Amino acid sequence: MESLSEFEGEVVAVNPNHEEVLGFASYGGVDDVPGEIDLAVVAVPPDAVVGVVETLGERGVVNVVVVTAGFSEAGGDGAERERELVGAAREHSLNLVGPNCIGVVSTPTKLNATFGPDSPVEGSVSFMSQSGAFITAAVDWANDEGMGFRHVVSLGNKAVLDETDFVEAWGEDEGTNVVVGYLEGIEDGGEFVRTARRVTREKETPVVLVKSGRTEAGARAVSSHTGTLAGTEKAYEAAFRKAGIVRAHNTEELFDFARALDTLPLPDEDGVAVVTNAGGPGVMATDAVGDSSLSLAEFEDTTYDALDDALPDAAAFYNPVDVLGDAPAERFEDAVSIALDDPNVGACLVIACPTATFDFDALAESIVETAEGTDVPVVAALMGGEATKEARSKLSEGGVPSYFDPARGVRSLDAVAGYRNAKEREIGEVREFEVDHEKARSILERGREDGRLGVEATPLLDAYGIPTPKGEVVETQDEAERVAEKIGGEVVMKIVSPDILHKSDIGGVKVGVAREDVRDAYEDLVSRARSYQPDAELLGVQVQEMVEVDEGVETIVGFNRDPQFGPLVMFGLGGIFVEVFEDTSFGVAPVADAEAREMVNSVESSPLLRGARGREPVDTEAVVETVERVSALATDFPAILELDINPLVATPEGVSAVDLRLTLDPEEL
Amino acid sequence: MTDTKPILVSSTTESTGKTGVALALAREAQERGEEVGYMKPKGTTLESAVGKTLDKDPIVAREVLDVEDEVHEMEPVVYSPTFVEQAVNGRVDEEELQEEVSEAYEGIAEGRDAIFAEGGDVYTTGGTVNMTDADVAELLDARVVLVAEFESYYSVDDVLAAADAFGDRIDGVVFNSVEGSNFDDVEGSLVPFLEERDVPVHGVLPWEREIAGVTVADLRERLNATALTDTDEDAYVERFLVGVMSGEEALRQFRRTKDAVVVTGADRADVQGAALEAPGVRCIVLTGGLEPPSAVLSKAQEKGVPVLSVSRDTLSAVNEMEEVVKEGRRPDAALVETVRELLVQHADVDALLG
Repeated sequence: MESLSEFEGEVVAVNPNHEEVLGFASYGGVDDVPGEIDLAVVAVPPDAVVGVVETLGERGVVNVVVVTAGFSEAGGDGAERERELVGAAREHSLNLVGPNCIGVVSTPTKLNATFGPDSPVEGSVSFMSQSGAFITAAVDWANDEGMGFRHVVSLGNKAVLDETDFVEAWGEDEGTNVVVGYLEGIEDGGEFVRTARRVTREKETPVVLVKSGRTEAGARAVSSHTGTLAGTEKAYEAAFRKAGIVRAHNTEELFDFARALDTLPLPDEDGVAVVTNAGGPGVMATDAVGDSSLSLAEFEDTTYDALDDALPDAAAFYNPVDVLGDAPAERFEDAVSIALDDPNVGACLVIACPTATFDFDALAESIVETAEGTDVPVVAALMGGEATKEARSKLSEGGVPSYFDPARGVRSLDAVAGYRNAKEREIGEVREFEVDHEKARSILERGREDGRLGVEATPLLDAYGIPTPKGEVVETQDEAERVAEKIGGEVVMKIVSPDILHKSDIGGVKVGVAREDVRDAYEDLVSRARSYQPDAELLGVQVQEMVEVDEGVETIVGFNRDPQFGPLVMFGLGGIFVEVFEDTSFGVAPVADAEAREMVNSVESSPLLRGARGREPVDTEAVVETVERVSALATDFPAILELDINPLVATPEGVSAVDLRLTLDPEEL
Repeated sequence: MTDTKPILVSSTTESTGKTGVALALAREAQERGEEVGYMKPKGTTLESAVGKTLDKDPIVAREVLDVEDEVHEMEPVVYSPTFVEQAVNGRVDEEELQEEVSEAYEGIAEGRDAIFAEGGDVYTTGGTVNMTDADVAELLDARVVLVAEFESYYSVDDVLAAADAFGDRIDGVVFNSVEGSNFDDVEGSLVPFLEERDVPVHGVLPWEREIAGVTVADLRERLNATALTDTDEDAYVERFLVGVMSGEEALRQFRRTKDAVVVTGADRADVQGAALEAPGVRCIVLTGGLEPPSAVLSKAQEKGVPVLSVSRDTLSAVNEMEEVVKEGRRPDAALVETVRELLVQHADVDALLG
């Protein structure tokens, strides 16, 4: 109640034991409150919450915040209580935040419905967090830094409203320039990606998130907090890329990036101009640029000439530009202005170290003035303590982010450029392919009870238009001979058994079998399988057309189902590239054509596809299309938990899926 | 000796369902109007009850057959490790022992038409005191029903060796718990082969989940575990996965299994989360006796996956659980009835009952 004292609207308490609470009128029950209720904050004991929420719903209240803890996070009856709460909220179509949260803040109306100690100052960054404590900490820190917020929401257990709802709402909110969030998990990964993508691209509102649980130990901590398996790191990377979300790795980056995206224009170029009065920090900044996706700008000749004219002889006019230790604010201003005029400069970092005569305040004023007159982002690193304090707050007020460490400035510029890239990234379209859905389903239905399928399910790929070598799984010598005859020429013969994982280790694969040897090969394969692994279930022998692996490149296309984001499609080059170098790329399904192309081209080993070492390039478009078709299969059949085409042999003529393995959840089918 | 008909039910390997078959045959004989009794000359399914180590099978038999013989008469010899040690050290009088078994049998056989005697773990058990199942058959002048399993064709050697040991006393073999994929092999090839060798086969019983399967509830009882969730415990479990890998790897492995129990530490919330995500995981067993995070229990409750807690360590828990699954369900009246139905359908009961 105390936090609400600044609120510009009317506040009443509902408490049967008091006529007045901290100076606010108090009523005995919800029904006794006169007039419209825009927002109700519920802070009653856990057992009473559902009843109170029902009463509010009946009364016609739409917006409810449940602060009370003791729900699914608490074990015991908590989970059941939360289910009832969700039921009550759904019944009355409530917008319900929490439970187990610290509340919500909205600075334009000075609404602070939290039990946090401080109110934030007004700003244009809206902030949500799955940790309530992190909100109180961040607000306290931001007040110190002069950073403001627009809306702040403690998500709590996300029983009804979750991150997707707030990303969507704040995307629509004119006053929100940037959405930031601390998340441990995402409720509906697919919906979140779609919504965030719309917000970051169409609404042009950047979204910056810290997603915790990146490491194995961190993931365990998240599971212990939320009870669910954290999505894989690869899935988060792929999902955030698809959604255009800027990812921060820690708290400092979260607010650095938020502030940079809030105040800075987006750069047109990736070149950074560094203007410094000290050599060492200039070098450190240069390294930081090297570590980022940005580059040190190469000036035009005219720029060099202008700098040469403006600076003393001893100054370095190559980038980083060293204006020397004796530089007054004016010399900085000249150098910065000249650099900003250069067409190759997309961003500018000004670094100032204290010297005997240096006037930080004057520098701050000139930087603010220069930044106002340009559409190139400018940030500053004022490398000092007390001496820089006043100047830093001048910069902050003037919308120029400043830091002690130049590297932080570079990372912030990188985040702004990253958002620009995300916005401009070509996504393409999710192509509709003609597939035989019914045939695919009937193949899956014939799968084994334990859900593991191998090459015997190859017709599934045919049904989805993914080329496979000619062949069949046979159960007798006669059939083997018949199939071999139909294929013509030499064939490959393989044992088919879900229980034998390493077929070639037991001699279960025969390559280049001539027609007259097919019968013997069949007998040999079966007896090998029987003697090496007597208890293995044998489904037969696959007789397959020879695929000239030597002329092609072995690739792997597959997917697995991420607990948070659903099907995660994977591409990589076969053999050591995937196994040793883990050189793979990922995309969240449904994968659009441009995304599939980006996946194929983004693996380190992709030059091999384009004809490295004098070989003919393979048909990469056929590979791209396979990635898209696998994505379609993953989307159409949630029952397939994981699938690998390994190898998918790519040749100049096309692709061929030589081997297949998949795991099915028969109950989902 | 009375004119009671003694039938010894022996087996080639442990845990093949001897008790179930013996009691089912006894029940069938009861149904046919015979007075029957049960005994287990050498007690091997030992469980430490208060004060004395006892075999549980006679206790079950009393319930199922509704007989009131004294357990010590039904089980004259407790073939415990201590007993074997004494035998090896020459402290057991074999003649006296034979006398005891004969007397016990006489007592139980009194006024009955048939006695179903169950052998030791395997037909060779009891060799230290010259009381293998073949010796017992000789002593009681019993005919022998041999219960055998079919894991692979290697099982055939055991059947032949056992048949050889029993000689003319063997009445017939019953293959028990034969899995669907092996059924044709057994009926088509193995039965004719054995009959060729003068070993008659009187039945091939298919594997049935209700008989061989172990449910989560069985597991909880056997492990003396505490249920941390209030969920159905009827699901059958067949295999165990120990969760010591990362959550991501755990999910990959758990998804490739079915009817599985995941065994992991209470602190491994990531593995628990993965287990709750995988459709084939029927139960989570937490070792070390600590409480898992509440959020995990809420999620497990929501998904209906039972979470059990045991105070022992992971290795001993897994060993115990493997034992439980290997042994299958402990026989009770319902199980015996199911076996009886199977016998009627898939075996020549007339031949088995003589």
